[in-house]
Amino acid sequence: MFVEITAPTALPAPASPPDAGAGVSPGGPRADSARSGRGRSRRSPRQLVRLLGRGVVPYLYLAPALGMLGVWTYRPLAETVNYSFFSWNLSPDSPATPQGWHNYHRLLTVPEVGGAVWRTFLMIAGLLPFTIIVPVVVGLLTAEVRGRARTVYQALIFAPVLVAPVASAAVWQWMLFPENGVVDRITGLSTNWLHEKTPALLSITGIAGWHLLGFAVLVVAAGLASINGDYAEAASVDGASRWQSIRWLTLPLLSPTLVFLLLTTVLLAGQWTFPLIDTLTQGGPVNATTNVYYLLWEYGFQSFDAGFASAAGVVFFLGFGVVAGVLVRLSDRLTFHDN
Amino acid sequence: MSRITVENVTRRYGGTTAVDAVSLDVADGDFLVLLGPSGCGKSTLLRTIAGLVAPSEGRVLVDDRDVTDVPARGRDLAMVFQSYALYPHLTVARNIGFPLRARRLRRAEVRRRVGEVADALELSALLDRRPRELSGGQRQRVALGRALVRDPGAFLMDEPLSNLDAQLRTATRTEITELHRRLRRTFVYVTHDQVEAMTMATSVAVLNRGRLEQIGPPTEVYDRPASAFVAGFLGSPPMNLLAAEVIHRDGQLHAVAAGVNVPLGIAVPRRSPDDAAGEPARSVLLGIRPEHLRVTSSAAAMTAATDATAAEAAASASGSDGPVTALRGVVRTVENLGSEEIAYCVVGDGEVSVRARRPAGFAVGDAVALAVDPGQTHLFDRESGRRLVWRPDPHPAVPSARVPVAT
Repeated sequence: MFVEITAPTALPAPASPPDAGAGVSPGGPRADSARSGRGRSRRSPRQLVRLLGRGVVPYLYLAPALGMLGVWTYRPLAETVNYSFFSWNLSPDSPATPQGWHNYHRLLTVPEVGGAVWRTFLMIAGLLPFTIIVPVVVGLLTAEVRGRARTVYQALIFAPVLVAPVASAAVWQWMLFPENGVVDRITGLSTNWLHEKTPALLSITGIAGWHLLGFAVLVVAAGLASINGDYAEAASVDGASRWQSIRWLTLPLLSPTLVFLLLTTVLLAGQWTFPLIDTLTQGGPVNATTNVYYLLWEYGFQSFDAGFASAAGVVFFLGFGVVAGVLVRLSDRLTFHDN
Repeated sequence: MSRITVENVTRRYGGTTAVDAVSLDVADGDFLVLLGPSGCGKSTLLRTIAGLVAPSEGRVLVDDRDVTDVPARGRDLAMVFQSYALYPHLTVARNIGFPLRARRLRRAEVRRRVGEVADALELSALLDRRPRELSGGQRQRVALGRALVRDPGAFLMDEPLSNLDAQLRTATRTEITELHRRLRRTFVYVTHDQVEAMTMATSVAVLNRGRLEQIGPPTEVYDRPASAFVAGFLGSPPMNLLAAEVIHRDGQLHAVAAGVNVPLGIAVPRRSPDDAAGEPARSVLLGIRPEHLRVTSSAAAMTAATDATAAEAAASASGSDGPVTALRGVVRTVENLGSEEIAYCVVGDGEVSVRARRPAGFAVGDAVALAVDPGQTHLFDRESGRRLVWRPDPHPAVPSARVPVAT
């Protein structure tokens, strides 16, 4: 008769167990579990300490970073939320009086807020050519530049990022000086750039854009470099023209980078423009360059209305949080992992 | 339908020459395999044909049209990349349809042709997936589909099977061969895998350090390697190559070395008594395929007779009808391949592999005597590595022409 050969299922017991294998029979798994059970009951205090240490150590490493986040980000955030329900003039002598939702109600009714939000939107829109369109064009045109030439041109284009905004504001103020400034002399215009409503907004946006251009170009260059060169080669063999290859491959594959730049622009536009506004126009003329951040700062530190400023801060925080959430989800959906 | 001609193409990268003056002619409908070890320039050569790399010198012609300066998209060649280069953000259908879309075909037409190709490659169920949702074999088929869909003049393939597991590789190999048979298109296929080269090619070009070593049908490349490199590259294990001297003995040419005395089956009539003595021995590499070596005697019959003199004695003692012991050695290791076994034997100061059907009875430490048919020996020049063939002397008066000539 035929006898089937069974497949090897259980591992045979080790020939010589490394530790005290006197009681181990060649029974396999059962003997093993018996041994480990015995080990658990006899765990020494020292082993316990070691086990505890193993659990605690990762959190010790994390502690400094978490502590900093707590002290510098989440505690102020909680305090801001708290102050938004009080009326307080920042003076240590005067008490904060509870106001309930009154600050939020004021925020929705004060006419300046709507204008500031609109101008913030205009500034962000005005920055996008500097942070997305120009960098993509520059990135595509300079993708072929290699070696030292590439380093030199990237260093040159990155330099404005390193200039302190207040310093550059001083230089730009001088260049934008009406009639005698370099800008007016070159363009032949007699625009008073910083003291007319639309030119002031354009100037602030333009100077901020000049600052950010180098950063955005580097990010786009990194994004382009991370796209596998095989795709462009495959496309050219497949008969695609350079423009088709850019439109159908490069831009879609670059889209996560572009969303990242959009996100940075939206979220950081206020921070980047703030020093320029404060140095050059102080929000003027007639609030023409007051964006939400500058407005917030004015409420808090010019009008000393800490509660109102806090309420504005909380609302803007939530608003930008929603925008960021949407963009992050968009970025995730646009990312195509190739492997 | 395309004939591809490569004329004297050289490609340099800085100081290194990746492709060195290679000339090839791939006839219409040929399946040419560019074979060689990594870094031999085979991929660079393929990319030069595709138009992705510009040659430093030389010309590329497709159907006798000089395309050296024509960009890749103007060459009517399709390429399958080693990485497949599937566009990660596009579905399978859009990936396959890409070449048609680039040619601005109508949507309905694109859909129809993508459907046909997908049917042929059994991809119909996967058309809406993205590359990352596919297995390695499916990705490979999509890459193939993208090449097939536009019906190009020739297919270029850069190690298309190297990312597949062994089983899938064998299956896909057969599919590609079948595809070539059905389409009757020109294929240029780069691989470092000699099995792929032997099984798929109608013609194999072996490259080494950017130079073309040999081009010919697989059987010719295997049976008559044009250089020691080709001999040592093809076969698993490859051809045994032993440094030997060609000497004149008893009106015959023999290749001899320590433990080696191989009659070459070339009769040289003695013209004068001091003729042979005056002719210097020629240094060669003697090549013998492992499967062409036969074991002639058991270990007991030959007691420690492993030096050249004993081999000579044995060779002269045995008649022309029996197998002549050509090599004597000692088995060092034995490999079991299932159907066959390979014995690695120490012969003189070299090593010789012997391939025999199982059970061949090799045991480590055994002394073995091996015989080879003179017709299955190969000679290569020791300096240039080129194959030597015997050409009977047309002018008996000139003795120097009697030595083998390099081809």
